[in-house]
Amino acid sequence: MTFYLGNFTLWLSLFFAASQFFTVRKQNKFNLIRSSVNGLLISILISFFLLIYAHVTSDFSLLNVFQNSHTTKPLFYKITGVWGNHEGSMLLWILVLIIFNYFIFKFYNKKNYLFICKTLEIQAFIIIGFIIFTIFTSNPFERIVPNQSEGLGFNPILQDPALAIHPPLLYIGYVGFSASFSFSVATLVLGIKNLPWHTYMKPFVLAAWTFLSIGIALGSLWAYYELGWGGWWFWDPVENASFMPWLLGTALLHSLIIVEKKKSLKSWVLLLSILTFLLSVIGTFLVRSGILTSVHTFALDPSRGMYILAFTALLGSYSLILFGSKSKLFSNNNYFVFFSREGAMLINNVLMTIACATVLLGTIYPLLIEALTNDKISVGAPYFNSTVIPIILPALIVMGVGPILAWGNENKIETFKKIFPAFFLTILATTIIFLFYQKYSPVGILGISIAFWIIINNLILLSKKKFYYSIGMIIAHLGIGLLILGVTGSSVWQTEKIVKMKINSQIKINKYSITFNKINEIKGSNYLAIQGNFVVYDKNKNIITILKPENRFYPVTGIFTSEVSIHTNLFRDLYIVLGEGNIDEGWIVKIYHNPLVVWIWIGSLTVFLGGIFSINKNLRKLKQ
Amino acid sequence: MTKKLITTLIFLLFQFGVCNSVEPEEILENVKQENRARNISKNIRCMVCQNQSIDDSSAPLAKDLRILIRNKIKEGDKDEDIYKFLTDRYGDFILLKPPLKLKTLFLWFLPVILFLIGIFIIFRHNKKARLN
Amino acid sequence: MKITKLPYIFFIFILLVFFYLLTVERNPSKIPSALLNKNVPLFETESLLKNEKFISSKIFDDQIIIVNFFATWCKPCKDEHVYIKRFADEKNLKVIGINYKDNPELAIKWLKNLGNPYSNIALDKKGKIAIDWGVYGIPETFIINSKGIIKYRHVGQITKTIYKKINLIIGDIIEDD
Repeated sequence: MTFYLGNFTLWLSLFFAASQFFTVRKQNKFNLIRSSVNGLLISILISFFLLIYAHVTSDFSLLNVFQNSHTTKPLFYKITGVWGNHEGSMLLWILVLIIFNYFIFKFYNKKNYLFICKTLEIQAFIIIGFIIFTIFTSNPFERIVPNQSEGLGFNPILQDPALAIHPPLLYIGYVGFSASFSFSVATLVLGIKNLPWHTYMKPFVLAAWTFLSIGIALGSLWAYYELGWGGWWFWDPVENASFMPWLLGTALLHSLIIVEKKKSLKSWVLLLSILTFLLSVIGTFLVRSGILTSVHTFALDPSRGMYILAFTALLGSYSLILFGSKSKLFSNNNYFVFFSREGAMLINNVLMTIACATVLLGTIYPLLIEALTNDKISVGAPYFNSTVIPIILPALIVMGVGPILAWGNENKIETFKKIFPAFFLTILATTIIFLFYQKYSPVGILGISIAFWIIINNLILLSKKKFYYSIGMIIAHLGIGLLILGVTGSSVWQTEKIVKMKINSQIKINKYSITFNKINEIKGSNYLAIQGNFVVYDKNKNIITILKPENRFYPVTGIFTSEVSIHTNLFRDLYIVLGEGNIDEGWIVKIYHNPLVVWIWIGSLTVFLGGIFSINKNLRKLKQ
Repeated sequence: MTKKLITTLIFLLFQFGVCNSVEPEEILENVKQENRARNISKNIRCMVCQNQSIDDSSAPLAKDLRILIRNKIKEGDKDEDIYKFLTDRYGDFILLKPPLKLKTLFLWFLPVILFLIGIFIIFRHNKKARLN
Repeated sequence: MKITKLPYIFFIFILLVFFYLLTVERNPSKIPSALLNKNVPLFETESLLKNEKFISSKIFDDQIIIVNFFATWCKPCKDEHVYIKRFADEKNLKVIGINYKDNPELAIKWLKNLGNPYSNIALDKKGKIAIDWGVYGIPETFIINSKGIIKYRHVGQITKTIYKKINLIIGDIIEDD
């Protein structure tokens, strides 16, 4: 039943998308257009909920449910498991495309209908492309015959709250840049000069960027507490695939502001919008085509790769050629003053773009070498760390002072007077923290001082309460500063102890003593586990906490996992992993002391908050 | 009786199922040497994992290579010698930081090239603007 | 050609590379041997079935030799064993086995059960020989020409198609010699 309805609604969505594509070409047929847009939204929503329904009711007649679900899976994870696999996540991709499509349509009015219709035409084309891809190569409503009574189980690593909500948030980001792409192409095709097309783009870019930021952060948070490697970013191709649109999206966001205020950089904004979404699609290609191996690529299938590649080629060639021929209309001859707010943003732009190009090149370079020389090389974390970090650091320094600068030419002496308190406080804060942590390294000092530089500058802005400074921007920048504090602290001052411990033995790490108290056996809902109890004492012999790392065995899939135990406070994480061992010889135990890690998550949340503030303000302004 | 059996079974299971990255027995006593070993390991790819270094990996081959690196450090080999030993056998693929060779020149210099191009474009734009 | 056309060219170039990689037969997780066209690594170790030592310079002499890394605990090794035997029996090729990180007694039993195609078997109890050969995932099979140069390596289980492919390669090597 779900098989028929599900396929029907998918095809229905395709029908409505095609109908939208054709009706917007007769731009004044408002009612027809509206029916297409609404019909498209309703049919994909039904389709999506049908897949959820199939998972929740454990309908194993569907291949997707059979491959990815199990009757013993908790309800929450049955639902979120819908997008934890390739086919289901493609349905989510399409759903987000269509939701953004709907909001584009909401802007339609008598003055802009030509522009909006052209935008909807592009968006419809993208939607059609992805629906065809899904129906023919990744159909979630494929049947399995004969009927199965139980699913293939699941990966217990995927049953996690952070991982569950990470895809929807990430996709709002990733996929949301389709809207700015469509607006940009429409602007170029029509040669729009009399409409503020950038004003339409801004809420979508804000929304996409904000959710992409929190989506990436959640993915990192999950990796940190789930994988047990003590780290949160590995420059894995899938991580890079989400980071590249974020870097360009940041440049795009800032450039949009310059377009608003100074009417310059218009052609650059149009190009960035195109490239950002193209990177989202290329990222999708890299991750789902099987061309790369990575820690979490989806199911591999060359035909999928071919299709996405062809679609990318089509979309990319068309939009770039269009840009090449039409961008001259939008260039202007404003002179750039470097020492000004727009100059700071321009520097940010250039650096974000270079960083993005570097990440892209590093990610695909092994493929290029393989194709050209039949040789295989690796480009791993050490490469990205040595290239991307030096590119981003100057951008961060500029970010501290940029918002204070005025538009247009800024008086250098005035500026120095303005920033001197922050400069002084930064040096003070950095000195204090290094007296506390006592481990010096050039990168560490640089990172911490930049973090404080950003934090202090923005706190000062907040305290001044002059709200011609966008509060969303201040909060978002503050968030970045907090994030950098956490990133630097946890990378530079991390201490690690690896020991074999028998029961009742003790180990010291930094100012803590940890006693291995006992081993418990745990019988969980669908797993068996050995749990170690580690009592943590501070230097005054008070008990801080009891850490309980586990090693779990899931009988249904035969998978072993290691559950890390973490104690967090504002100053440090205590992070412990239980290895293998036995009563007689003891267990291998890995303990990390990670200073300031929590600020990464607090910073990310603050960035998200800043984004939400900005979206709110932007929407209110638009309503007027 | 059954409970003891289950406990033993669980312990046995976990002997085979759970592995570790660097293990205590591997750690060298000389801290400087151990740090060298860790740094080299972080740059060596685990050949049987997806995108991990041998420092992080629990694979048996990763452990063998970690021990091999430590032995070579103890014998007095320099870092370059150890890298050469590994690349002679496994190729450049085993290095996570691509070596600077003719075929990786573009990879390493692209950021600089792009930066220069960016500066060039901006200055040329400013020059044109000033003429107007 | 204007310099501003460069990004477009780069874009097309990347797409062509991806297209090529998708169509060509490749395995993203297998790498070519770093020892191709180099001399066989020299080593000395115990032999499994013979009383004397296994000295590589004596064993690798003037004929085509197939070297197969295997272990009793490795299921694909068991599955491919029939083809290793075919190399020895049908093609009359000299096959050397290297027993990787294994228990010698178990290996003797294993070979008794499945048949022994190896003219000699080296014991690599610690895995050091495997590292010298750049081995990372057994089973691995090498083809060495009559001059002691490694000409080909296959990582993983030998299947019917791969067996045919290796035979063709052996044919080419014999011609070149």
